[in-house]
Amino acid sequence: MKLDPVALAVMNNRLAAIAEEMGVVLGQTGYSPNIKERHDFSCALFDARGELVAQAAHIPVHLGSTPLSVRAAIEHLDLGPGDVAALNDPFAGGTHLPDLTLVMPIFLRNERRPFAYAANRAHHADIGGMAPGSMALSTEIYQEGFRLPPVKIVERGEISRDVMALFLANTRVREEREGDLRAQIAALRVGADRLRSLVGNSGKSIVNAAMDDLKDYAARLMESSLRALKPGIYRARDFLDDDGFGTKNIPIHISIRIRGGRAIVDFTGSSRQVRGSVNANYAITLSAVFYVMKCLAAEAVPANEGLMRPITLIAPPGSVVNALAPAAVAGGNVETSQRIVDVLFRAMAKAAPDRVPAASSGSMSNLTIGGFDRVRNRHFSYYETIAGGAGAAPGRPGASGIHTHMTNTLNTPIEALEAYYPMRITEYRIRRGSGGRGRSRGGDGLVREIECLGESNVSLLTERRTLRPWGLFGGGNGSAGANWLVRGKRRVKLAAKTNLTLQAGDRVRIETPGGGGWGR
Amino acid sequence: MRISRSGVAARARRPRTRIAVGIDTGGTFTDLLAIVNGDLRVLKVPSTPDDPARAVLSGLREMLSDLPPDLVTYSSTVATNALLERKGARVAIITNAGFEDVIEIGRQNRDDLYSLAPSRPEPLVPRAMRIGVRERTLYDGSSLTPLTRAEIGRVARMARRSGAQSFAICLLHSYANPGPEDAIARALAPIGRPISISHRLLAEYREYERFSTAVVNAYVAPRMSAHLEELARNLSGSQLRIMQSNGSATGSELARAEPIRTILSGPAAGVVGAAALTRTFGSDRLITFDMGGTSTDVSLFDRRARIRTLSYPDGYAVRAPVIDIHTVGAGGGSLARVDAGGSLRVGPESAGADPGPACYGRGTAPAVTDADLVAGRLVASNFLGGRMRLYPARAIKAIGAIASAMKTGAMEAARGVIRVVNANMERAIRVITVERGYDPREFTLLAFGGAGPMHAAELALDLGIRHVVFPRNPGLLCAWGALGAPLGREFSITLRAVDPNYEALVARARPMIQRARRELLREGAASSALETEVRLDMRYRGQSYELEVPLTRDFREQFHAAHHRAFGHSAPAAALEVVNLRLRASAADASLAIAKIGRQRGNPAPISRMAVLVGSRVRTAPVYARDSLGAGARVRGPAIVVELSSTAYVAPEFTMRADDYGNLHLEAGR
Repeated sequence: MKLDPVALAVMNNRLAAIAEEMGVVLGQTGYSPNIKERHDFSCALFDARGELVAQAAHIPVHLGSTPLSVRAAIEHLDLGPGDVAALNDPFAGGTHLPDLTLVMPIFLRNERRPFAYAANRAHHADIGGMAPGSMALSTEIYQEGFRLPPVKIVERGEISRDVMALFLANTRVREEREGDLRAQIAALRVGADRLRSLVGNSGKSIVNAAMDDLKDYAARLMESSLRALKPGIYRARDFLDDDGFGTKNIPIHISIRIRGGRAIVDFTGSSRQVRGSVNANYAITLSAVFYVMKCLAAEAVPANEGLMRPITLIAPPGSVVNALAPAAVAGGNVETSQRIVDVLFRAMAKAAPDRVPAASSGSMSNLTIGGFDRVRNRHFSYYETIAGGAGAAPGRPGASGIHTHMTNTLNTPIEALEAYYPMRITEYRIRRGSGGRGRSRGGDGLVREIECLGESNVSLLTERRTLRPWGLFGGGNGSAGANWLVRGKRRVKLAAKTNLTLQAGDRVRIETPGGGGWGR
Repeated sequence: MRISRSGVAARARRPRTRIAVGIDTGGTFTDLLAIVNGDLRVLKVPSTPDDPARAVLSGLREMLSDLPPDLVTYSSTVATNALLERKGARVAIITNAGFEDVIEIGRQNRDDLYSLAPSRPEPLVPRAMRIGVRERTLYDGSSLTPLTRAEIGRVARMARRSGAQSFAICLLHSYANPGPEDAIARALAPIGRPISISHRLLAEYREYERFSTAVVNAYVAPRMSAHLEELARNLSGSQLRIMQSNGSATGSELARAEPIRTILSGPAAGVVGAAALTRTFGSDRLITFDMGGTSTDVSLFDRRARIRTLSYPDGYAVRAPVIDIHTVGAGGGSLARVDAGGSLRVGPESAGADPGPACYGRGTAPAVTDADLVAGRLVASNFLGGRMRLYPARAIKAIGAIASAMKTGAMEAARGVIRVVNANMERAIRVITVERGYDPREFTLLAFGGAGPMHAAELALDLGIRHVVFPRNPGLLCAWGALGAPLGREFSITLRAVDPNYEALVARARPMIQRARRELLREGAASSALETEVRLDMRYRGQSYELEVPLTRDFREQFHAAHHRAFGHSAPAAALEVVNLRLRASAADASLAIAKIGRQRGNPAPISRMAVLVGSRVRTAPVYARDSLGAGARVRGPAIVVELSSTAYVAPEFTMRADDYGNLHLEAGR
């Protein structure tokens, strides 16, 4: 069955509204600042085959990768009514361990097979492993935290006590984890209810047809966008600074072949997977391609699986863009994903020179602080990402201190952070002059300095500390970022990726990269 | 705000006001509504955007023949326009050294995820006007770096030299210890410029939102102040009140100091007016649906208006109580097209007022209004009472282009455009109902605005709503709301107290209640009409989302119950945290009597018949003039009802009835 242009628009609206409502529920019921204040999560609906049909616009890095989680859950488990699968295993549908994905089958009355699936993914502030926050300097997946292959966390409507107990025993702040997990489950239930009532109102065959047609629709929009680009083969390369274990200048190569409404995106020639945690698995790379293609589309393409249909992705297994077990991957999600976006845009700048911006800061500047809070008498684990400068675009300067590309989380208010954690912000400002020069200037990065009030373990996972965000068409590069330890009057430069113990009164100072400039 | 109970109490005791006026200033027209010794007078005059006071004052003179009004309640766009048009003051901010950019960084996020060049609004305070002060307070109110006398002097000198016309004082954790902000304010006072102090505007934690609120306030204050002074000068002897965004009115003193509270007062007055009107038919659960040319406002009224505390006028965070109005960028002027993927899209592009929809005779692009005209939902000869000519042939041609892209007929294409724009409206209504835990089927849909009554019936069917009302005199709802608005005050303070007892909370609330009483009495409230209500923002310790519950002896149980209602679970043994304490105080004047209309005699007589798209078929339907329908008149759908400012469509699923006050009710079934 084919829907007419009107029904297509109406159903697109209704399905997207369900995904958005799931997000509202998750944002409101979450426990941790990471969910409630920073909105580090995504919600989506999938059809019976596990293909994405609607996703609320939350965090781009979740976009292309959640379908792999849903398919892994379907493959590994026999999901019945009232069941919910949980997983985070990067080698079985996940991305990196802190991102916990929950998948719920949606059954219609008297049916034995799921009609559709609801899923959400939330970044948990700690998932065990060698350091609080689970974003430490790791060399294999086993150090990064508790690895959850697809398991049933809810069975026939009841939370599985065994699975929950096992999970909570392996995290540092269990109260928070449990609250966030319950919020994720609540959001799935709302999504399932809403989809069922949509089926009740519109009819099963219409909703089914809509899910198929919307994917076709996204594919047609994407094809027409690709057709509008100049055919050709566009190549570029860019590098990661290092992996934290001595491997420097890690190359990522791309060749994009555009012809006849199709694109072949080929990462052949990129580095082998490395020892440190900057390895991206296939899901991450897929997400980055998905994001870039959606940005380049001439008009708003619904976020569903059809968008990728005209695009073929080649990512050599065992490379830094398609890492295999037991690679360390904590940073692939947050750092390498940004570099993959950079290299894709760098290639596409030749195909669409009037639109593509220079490189943005290219790092989420991940900072994790954890330890024991003597004032509040409890363990804590705090995670944040720090924004940088946006790359300048033709005719438009880059914005300063803004999250770009694969992330869009909010900051934690200083007045919230200081009230609940043993730390203090001593400086938070725009890093003036860090954006690249050019006809349009790159945006400036940020300076954020945090004082620890007790002994704390600090992990830094940052990029663009040596290789600067590039300018385009004669525009200057943005400044590289820098990390510092401030102890009294002494300032010690820290590595881009490091793990250290701070004493009370020590400060960690993060200066994030500026965006590249555009034009001479 | 509560309208009914206190109104009755007030009527008994207060001396009757002889002349009360409600005024709403819109972009095009200023509406005035007066009760002169019991009689209603109405006047519409062109607005004077360069000096809004001119239209107000000349309108008052004309309507009242130079009689002085006793009470004028005014919904003003001055603060809003100063912000939207960037015509506010040169503001300097005094904030902690090292944190001067907090107002520019915001929350680090971007609005549009997939934009190739994400942008943010330009900060209202340029970098050179941000003065860093060496001072640091902590979350418990203790001082890490005390503010020294020398530092105060240095900052005051810099402030004076800055040439600023208005100041914002924004220090970290000032909600926990207002001392340092107050000390700086005292030092700046001799400069003689308006000062916006963050903790006085909002004593709540989360620095960006509080700072931004103070900065926006400082930005619009001088303009608002000058405007209100001019009005007050010319209205000496009258009491002047200003509508706030939360639907209550305030004296001009507070409006001058805290204009931020008026920033969305126009739409708020509309909701209040609509709600006041519904008293005449006894419904207190409604969804207001105001569909205009370029945008549509919807809001939910469940015995009281829902209040939201955070909004983003033109992208700037403002944390002040506003009626929760959800706006979507779609209306009668929204353009329709078939996109490259073969889907019909309506909006967000709009034909605006110029060229306007194709049927206006200037443009050629198809808009929603063209579809309405083709579908027979709009009567060309009656547009704006016949004062503006429409061109049906141009609408047919424009919609025809959509039809050929859809490979269908013009009527089918028109129906498609209407269905797609209605789907946008449906989504907006779902946001304010379903997403907030309400079932839209339990509400009355109150439709107004130029395009509202044309779309309401089908929208109601999509949402399962069985009762739709088209209010009488829909163009005057805002002025009506201003005329009947109670006086009101809202204060809040961050406590972050874990498991506090009831008495401690009452002790914290007491000074706020006293301040509200004092201020409201000064503004002319009768003490017998004063109502106060204390509410708590609460959560389980460790959670980062609060629920609002009333402060009563059993507030703990109330919270567990509210949590269970909202999220399906509660934890009675867990520690509770009271994050904020909120005070709402109000005092209503006498409620206003609304004039009844005459009874219907015999069956209503249509003025004509026309071809109307009904469902998927074209049928001949009667057209009625709204003025000719008396109380008790009944009409079965399908039918069209025309009046000066809009056209209404009655779908066949409804029967329409005119009530004693001239409101039209669509009731499902026959």
